[in-house]
Amino acid sequence: MQLPLTYVLSFSALLFGIGLYGALTLQNAIRILMCIEIMLNAVNVNLIAFSRYLSPLQPAGQAFVIFVMTVAAAEVAVGLAIILMIARRRDTIDIDRMNLLKW
Amino acid sequence: MTVSDVLFLAICLITLVAAWRVVVSAKVMHAALWLGLTFFGVAAVFLMLSADFVAAAQVLVYVGAITVLLIFGIMLSEGTEGTPRGSERSSLGRKVAPVGAAAGFAALMVYLYHQAGLRQPPPAEVATDTPRAIGTLLFSDFVIPFEVASLVLLVGMVGAIVLAMREEG
Repeated sequence: MQLPLTYVLSFSALLFGIGLYGALTLQNAIRILMCIEIMLNAVNVNLIAFSRYLSPLQPAGQAFVIFVMTVAAAEVAVGLAIILMIARRRDTIDIDRMNLLKW
Repeated sequence: MTVSDVLFLAICLITLVAAWRVVVSAKVMHAALWLGLTFFGVAAVFLMLSADFVAAAQVLVYVGAITVLLIFGIMLSEGTEGTPRGSERSSLGRKVAPVGAAAGFAALMVYLYHQAGLRQPPPAEVATDTPRAIGTLLFSDFVIPFEVASLVLLVGMVGAIVLAMREEG
């Protein structure tokens, strides 16, 4: 592969932009969680790309991606548990109607 | 442009289209399936950047676990989705601001990356034994974060069980 680093980073920036747009506009809490996962993946692409182009023999960036995946897995598990609890108690997962604490 | 460059750009295109479908598709279940394709595309990008172990972990953790978990969540919360209401969302600021934030961020980052002039192709020599290298790093330089991460997973698991448990007398 001969592509310069800029192309991989641009791909990751576009992926992050799509995830950010979804997280800001969607109303379904589970889909917002999906968009957060997309953003985390974009960050992982950045880490892998810098690891490949700048320190190819010492893959510390790849080890860091493993940590990001761990935290993402824990985040999805806890986030889904919270969403399911809200769905049971308030009968909605629309974030516009989760306004109990809203002034 | 070599064959692998064209392949890389094709994978990028597929991944971006899949991610876009996650945001715009009408049904939540379809969004979850497109999300699986997005994760596969990112795993392919990892593979092309010769991070084979991380690509395998990506398929196992994201496609195998997180997508399935999200689908379970969608099925358990079905019927509580509610109808999307147009009236409160239709103000101009609430429509323009997310587009501006996302497009502005992506455009700024792409512009900065091009200005930075990172033009050199990837180095030819690369660590081929990545599982061994990552394992050595995890148990030498990163051993404290590694143990903390295992604690985070344990706390997350217990927390998810406690939160999702039905409280009944």
